[in-house]
Amino acid sequence: MSGVAIGVDAGSTTWKAVILDDQGQVLASRVAPAEPLVDQQTRVELARLRERTSTSSDVPVGATGYGRKRVGAQRAITEITCHARGAFHITGAGGVLVDVGGQDSKIIHMGPDGSVLDFAMNDKCAAGTGRFLEVLLGRLQVAWEDVPALVASARSAVSVSSTCTVFAESEVISLVAEGEPVEGILKGVHQSLASRVAGLAGLLPPGGAVYMSGGVALGRAMVDALAAALGRPVTVLAEPQLVGALGAALSVR
Amino acid sequence: MRAEYMREQKRSHGRKVLAVLPIQYPKELLTAMNVLSMELWGPPGAPRGPGASRLQAYVCSVARNAVAFVQAGGAAEVDAFLYPHACDSIQGLATLIPDLGGEDKPALHYLNPKGGYRPSSRRFVAGELRRLAADLAELTGEPLSADRLSWALDLHREIDRLRARLLDGRARLDMTDSDLYAVLRRGEWLWPEDHLAELKLAASRLAPMGEVVQRGVGLLLSGIVPEPMSIFDELSSMGAYVAADDYAAVGRRVVRKQLLASEDPMDTLAWLMFAYPPCPTRSTSLGQRMDYLDRLATRSSAEGVIIHTVKFCEPELFDVAGIKERFGARGLPVLFLESELEAELSGQTITRLEAFVELLTQRRKS
Amino acid sequence: MITRRLQYELVKRLAAPLLVQLQGASKRLKGRQGPRPGSPFGPPLKSVALLKDLMTRHYLEGRYADGAVPVAWVTSGFPVEILRALGFFSIYPENHAALCGVQRLTPELSDAAERVGHSRSLCSYARTDMGAVLLEKTPVGRLPRPDLLACCTNICQTVLYWYRCLADHFKVPLVLIDTPFVYGESQEHHQQYVRDQLEELLSVAERIGGRRHSSEELVRVARLSHEGTLLWGECLAESTNRPAPWTGFDGFFHIAPIVTLRGSEECNAYYRHLLDELRHRVRHGVGGIKEERYRLMWDNLPIWYNVRDMSTLLAENRFNIVVTTYTNAWAEAGKRMDPTDPVGSAARSYTHIILNEDLDRRLELMTRLAREYHVDGALLHSDRSCKPYSIGQVDLKDRLAREAQVRALLLEADHNDPRAYSTEQGNTRLQAFMESFA
Repeated sequence: MSGVAIGVDAGSTTWKAVILDDQGQVLASRVAPAEPLVDQQTRVELARLRERTSTSSDVPVGATGYGRKRVGAQRAITEITCHARGAFHITGAGGVLVDVGGQDSKIIHMGPDGSVLDFAMNDKCAAGTGRFLEVLLGRLQVAWEDVPALVASARSAVSVSSTCTVFAESEVISLVAEGEPVEGILKGVHQSLASRVAGLAGLLPPGGAVYMSGGVALGRAMVDALAAALGRPVTVLAEPQLVGALGAALSVR
Repeated sequence: MRAEYMREQKRSHGRKVLAVLPIQYPKELLTAMNVLSMELWGPPGAPRGPGASRLQAYVCSVARNAVAFVQAGGAAEVDAFLYPHACDSIQGLATLIPDLGGEDKPALHYLNPKGGYRPSSRRFVAGELRRLAADLAELTGEPLSADRLSWALDLHREIDRLRARLLDGRARLDMTDSDLYAVLRRGEWLWPEDHLAELKLAASRLAPMGEVVQRGVGLLLSGIVPEPMSIFDELSSMGAYVAADDYAAVGRRVVRKQLLASEDPMDTLAWLMFAYPPCPTRSTSLGQRMDYLDRLATRSSAEGVIIHTVKFCEPELFDVAGIKERFGARGLPVLFLESELEAELSGQTITRLEAFVELLTQRRKS
Repeated sequence: MITRRLQYELVKRLAAPLLVQLQGASKRLKGRQGPRPGSPFGPPLKSVALLKDLMTRHYLEGRYADGAVPVAWVTSGFPVEILRALGFFSIYPENHAALCGVQRLTPELSDAAERVGHSRSLCSYARTDMGAVLLEKTPVGRLPRPDLLACCTNICQTVLYWYRCLADHFKVPLVLIDTPFVYGESQEHHQQYVRDQLEELLSVAERIGGRRHSSEELVRVARLSHEGTLLWGECLAESTNRPAPWTGFDGFFHIAPIVTLRGSEECNAYYRHLLDELRHRVRHGVGGIKEERYRLMWDNLPIWYNVRDMSTLLAENRFNIVVTTYTNAWAEAGKRMDPTDPVGSAARSYTHIILNEDLDRRLELMTRLAREYHVDGALLHSDRSCKPYSIGQVDLKDRLAREAQVRALLLEADHNDPRAYSTEQGNTRLQAFMESFA
């Protein structure tokens, strides 16, 4: 079976795409580090995906992400609308979607029909985004895949009060120097990021589910920290990195 | 262009020129005394030059850019400065700018009373106006004449009438936001009579009552100053337009109330200073401000509200929660956007605007 | 109302003093050992216990004040004498916020304010208190609901924006004393404006307080207030001695009564007690720190959550803060007060506050203080949360060096929100500054 719609999410850290069949199921997908020439990357990657799924070149492409207007798609729609569409497609329900991406974070309030009611985004600094985690993991010399086990083993969180990435970096360095355990600091780092994201979320409507998407949702530790900060259970959407691309594909289906 | 215009004004009309900091001041008094005001709103772009780091990064960019601009010689040809008392930062600039720039130009002040009308503040305004008139007389060498003030009051009333017609009749106006705001904002530095001529020209493009020209998604924009101006082209390309304006630099300086003319034009001017729409820098009550914004939104049938304020602007920021709550309760979506007087909108800002317009378009459909 | 009043009087006269005594006794049992060995500080001030009692009592009374007596929430620079003379109980949100700041409660409280849409760029005092109001959470147990909000712009315009939000929240009247900013000298019509507003305040406060004011009572309170500020000034001036008998950081805490209880006998009694102790220390050469080698001036609000760490770092390096423009502001005001003309002199004294005067006046004041207190350098806290105090500091720093030969360090922080301060960077810069004196 071949695809009927393609969605591309040209983000600032990763490039994502999905191909949908006529049932709205994902036939194929791809996540790759973003390259500077996004149009070229899209051309090459899409050709491969099409070949893999025998999808013809006139199947429409919907694009989202920072590079949405540069990939030659039939439609370019913002990440906010696409994430809501993708999330609704997966869950069939409204609620609050938290997307923590590499360079920015978004909170999207969705109505029961999946429409966007309201949204918020972090301001231009890296506080409250995946970049914050990336920088601090680098400082602590912890590999991404070791995070969940380390955080789970922490006896208690070491408070990291700075939410500014630069400040937090020097704070973490001194905590290490003072002999605080890495696991505890790591847990504190997650709590700090979660509190920033929760602040962005504002007052949550009573009841209603909270979903999470974006690359950061792949880390269990972050999901737990966010649930604690929001005081709500948080459900991670399947293939959280692809939700935006899914929404983009749905927009041209 | 501004500099050339200013020179021409000095040369051909013998006018003195004041560099004026934001926001509200009795411009009628300046006009009556043949003084041209050149308002300093920025200019946009990152502050440059030796003055760029004289203010901490957490001070708003209106203040920071003004300091950098002046220190780089941007106001070298003006005759004096006028500092209206807008906020803590502008009040600080009044001693900082002369100090930093080594400027020997007179620094004039106009203190806006805070907290709305009270008998005490009415009396105070009269005192401030008298003092400013005396300072201007010293600058120009000519005392204020009552006839000239009456003339200036009439002239500015006509300007306000036209500005109100353009803003309130926006849906009938066959102009892009970009063009409209260019005309409106030229009033920040044109001699009022020249400004009036341009306004008249723009008003001739108003369609008759009942006809609608603008069919895009109508927005209420509230904030300090519409910078960067490219926001209008972006909104337009997304299918939206500014249906109602509450920028401190624009709509908040348009008096719509009818004032009874008093025998003494100074008295009329004093009353006028209380007739402006609510602005948090003058601190009328939050309730009054919300009522005003509500009326703006209703009258213009705005489908969404954008709070487009300058980062670190405390007077504006304290009201944001209240505005969001008020419009949220009415089901009117609100987008909060902070600007630092960038030269261009960032990609992220454009994404937010676009997502907001997408949201509103979707609501229209359903 | 009557039972509430009885309850309040009972607490005020019996329960609060008793409770405070009990608390104090148990703490004193624990804390009488003097300084820990190796501490760089001098022996602790004995008055601290009294200060704690005084403030605990104040907030304890506050819990029972609403419904019993008229309650006003008041800015620190408000001419409170008028309200006090009409029997108002007053709460100082700034002082309360500082209390929360010291206990590092700001992040949590601020989060609550941010959740309803307040920006993190707002003053952290405002965020702290608005959060406390929203969460109904405070380290003092309970804050009494205001009947009146009383705001004076002599310290900043921010308080007005903040109090507008409070007025909207509590749905109570907000009275404003708008003190025109002073460029050079205050003008006659500015003074008239403030006098007019004080008259307007009197009638509003009379209506809400439910009684007419008496001139004798007003004069009595103004006299106490005048005396209190003079006493506070004398306490501070003891630090012109070498070594200074206490530190500027101590002053940040001992300022509480002059801010919150100004115009009361208990406030003045406290400062008489403190003054005696300070004089005693001066006579015996007891310093606030053990070895005072260099003397510094502090500008702007304290960094409340970091006072302890920073004062230790300074003391270990034999630096003492001997004067602060912040604590001095309440002493300075006394010079213009005239109790026989409570309204007229309030208009003058409350307009001429350091934060309501231009940079030239500030520089003059700092130059004078530098001379009187024999300072070697200055720390200018560049406070993200206090624009009026911080704007112009870059210029002040240069001018202090050029015109008063005082070397200064600009220290970026925030008075209440630890999330906006990097302890590491701050300490490094402070260390480097101190090294430059060696």
